[in-house]
Amino acid sequence: MESIGNKKASASRLSNVLTDVHFWVPVVVLLAGLLLLSFMR
Amino acid sequence: MTSAAQPLDSAAMQRASRSKTLQLLGILSGFTAGAWLGAAEAPTKLVSTGISPMAISLIMVIGVFLARWSLPALILGTSSIRADVRRAPHLIIWAILAGCLWAVANTLTIFAIRDIGLSIAFPLWNSNSLLGIFWGFLFFNELRQAGWRRWTGVLGGALVMCVGATLLAIASSAQGPAGHSFRGVWAALGAGVLWGTMYIPYRKAYLTGMNPLSFVTFFTFGELGMMSALAIGYTGFAPLWKELLAARSVVFWLMLGGFIWVIGDLFQQYAAKYVGISRGIPLSNSNQLWGLLWGILVFGELHGRSSSTYAQVVGGSLLMMLGVGAVAFSSASGEEQTRWKEAAQREGRRYGVAADYVEARMDGRQAAGELAPSRSVWDWLLVAAASAVFMVFATMARVPQMSLHWGPAALLVAALLVLLFICTLALWRTTRFH
Repeated sequence: MESIGNKKASASRLSNVLTDVHFWVPVVVLLAGLLLLSFMR
Repeated sequence: MTSAAQPLDSAAMQRASRSKTLQLLGILSGFTAGAWLGAAEAPTKLVSTGISPMAISLIMVIGVFLARWSLPALILGTSSIRADVRRAPHLIIWAILAGCLWAVANTLTIFAIRDIGLSIAFPLWNSNSLLGIFWGFLFFNELRQAGWRRWTGVLGGALVMCVGATLLAIASSAQGPAGHSFRGVWAALGAGVLWGTMYIPYRKAYLTGMNPLSFVTFFTFGELGMMSALAIGYTGFAPLWKELLAARSVVFWLMLGGFIWVIGDLFQQYAAKYVGISRGIPLSNSNQLWGLLWGILVFGELHGRSSSTYAQVVGGSLLMMLGVGAVAFSSASGEEQTRWKEAAQREGRRYGVAADYVEARMDGRQAAGELAPSRSVWDWLLVAAASAVFMVFATMARVPQMSLHWGPAALLVAALLVLLFICTLALWRTTRFH
């Protein structure tokens, strides 16, 4: 039972992260930075 | 009536006094961060010795990795880090993401320094403070209900900083090597955007109660992983290894640069925690002035340049500093801090973090029932191993064949140590590093 509860909590946490705009803004900026770096090369 | 009201007033006064102390601590941390972050860029001048930017960045990050584990282990012990992670495991993702942003930004700064020089590149990537103000307002309720005076201070300061940065960008077209100044400006500005966005994870972590010393230990997996991937992807494993072997006489200096950076970054984290990112970043961006001092006094960067270039660089830097000062002294009012707490409660509810823990950590103290941090034998082994790696590379180190002015360098180092002592003591007395 406890294991099922932990799995549910983890899944819920992951879902919270993936629907959080605070996560996606840094991800997009990171990708843009990598693109700029490839241009610098 | 009177007897009931008096303890209430006394508690409110204590809270206000504590809040003011923490704000002052955040400001002091920001300035100390500026001094140490400014000093950390000096070793990257070794780029002129023919080592590739990727290899320099990777070596610095290895130094950073060692420091980000050994310093927290020394200060609080890894048991404290484990306890923090159990309370808010989701923050590991943000810490790693922030580390990746740092690594890419740091690599861009190497290109920027090579193309337009340290004294020009510094203020350009310090435009990250403008972005930090924006993210702080948008996502974390910073500057909400701050009043017109504080808004004027922050926005006026930001505007003055923009004018200063523009002056420096104009000067860079005359400063940089032919054909590369435009690329250098883009690299520096790109680093600014990445670093400005990196503060979103910082603020998120500290609003949720995570200790800066815990955050940086996971942050460093992101930076080392991303930097290794970039270096291997761009250079290839065998050529990179060959380059690292050839560079072993300067590995110590670069790792030392990374170590110094971590000390500055730790203070920056405490500034972001206690005064928010909209004020903490401009404060730590006083590293621009320290970078200028190192560049001009120790490396003789502007020697032989025209007087107009000199005036543009100095004038632009002073304007930026004026803006930083205006932002710094627009400290958060009680109403604004209430909005910060609302943002913290929102984070706590979303990710299921206990409200009393979040509140205690925002207040720079331990939560009720939280065990006092302790160091184990593993922490001491970690510190000993990191020190041993530094010592091994120190035995291989040679002083680079560069024209350096040692007198000003000694004075700047003394100033760094004084700031380190004062700020560490203040943090210990006020928060015990919580």
